[in-house]
Amino acid sequence: MTRRPKVLVVDDEPDYLAIAARIAAKAGCSVLTAPDASEGIKQAEKENPSMILLDVGLPDMSGFEAARRMRKVPALARTPIIFFTVRSELDMVSEGLKLGAAGYVLKPFDPDDLLARIKAAVLLP
Amino acid sequence: MKPAVSCVTSDPSARSFLRSALKGFRLGFFPTAASVLKSPPRGLLVIDSTLPDMSGRDLISVLRGDKKTAALLIVLTGAGPYSPAAAALSLENGADEYFSFPPEAGLLRARLLNLLARTAVVSPPAQKPAEYCFGALRISPEARTATLGRERLKLTALEFDILLYFLKNQGRVVARTVLLEQVWRDGLEAGPRAVDKRIEKLRARLGKFGSKLRTVFGLGYIFKM
Repeated sequence: MTRRPKVLVVDDEPDYLAIAARIAAKAGCSVLTAPDASEGIKQAEKENPSMILLDVGLPDMSGFEAARRMRKVPALARTPIIFFTVRSELDMVSEGLKLGAAGYVLKPFDPDDLLARIKAAVLLP
Repeated sequence: MKPAVSCVTSDPSARSFLRSALKGFRLGFFPTAASVLKSPPRGLLVIDSTLPDMSGRDLISVLRGDKKTAALLIVLTGAGPYSPAAAALSLENGADEYFSFPPEAGLLRARLLNLLARTAVVSPPAQKPAEYCFGALRISPEARTATLGRERLKLTALEFDILLYFLKNQGRVVARTVLLEQVWRDGLEAGPRAVDKRIEKLRARLGKFGSKLRTVFGLGYIFKM
């Protein structure tokens, strides 16, 4: 039996956490969630997800800083990270993509776009 | 001097189509949103709606929001057959022109030359749409009016702001908390239930168009024509 890809969603906003989790589940993935960066990093280290959906404006540290810390963990060095955020300033987006993100999705988001990006990141048909 | 056009696409077949359709143009290619944002070009940009790292619509929002890139001429190309709804959405999102891909080569050339010629005379600032029209429903952000057929809709200031927020974010799921943050005047005092009630009223006022403002169960709302 093939194991379903695991997606970690990190967002402090419960509504977005829920909808992103639902979209990831619709993509055929099993879903883990975390409400802040510290919990997200802990879960990522423990669960080694296939991809991470990461908010930028988290309460304890920025999503960019969380991504940098995750990248230092050897098992997470190449895990696709998609930032999803309301932060649409050019410099912010540029910085996020420079960190090697697989994608940058602006909130409010198009559910079809997010679904396609999750599938592409975990290589689902 | 040859007219310059920058194309943002990761699709090799799109690149070869553009090379052949735009002979005589000075073409530059960017494979990703990241590469455009790193060193934004000037002039005219043709953006593929599906980029590996970002949607074309999101990339346009980012470019329109920055002083350095707000005045770029932007053409968005979408996949699949031409859809008036997709075209309208792209223009409302800040594109100057929309084509479904692959466009007819002659028409693409003519439209791009037109856009370049117009801006050679004057460089208009990026403008927001003067009016949103969906059949009988017309909304003017400037005049803050909404009409259904000949009847002017009686919307409160808050209802109009909510409607406008959905128009600017068509096809995107908007969480209740986001509406409270972005639109509500006393966001911290109101709660999700207040959003639901106000949306119900707005739907009723929009008549048959009310059903276009759909509930995403337990999460929020989406406006899709």
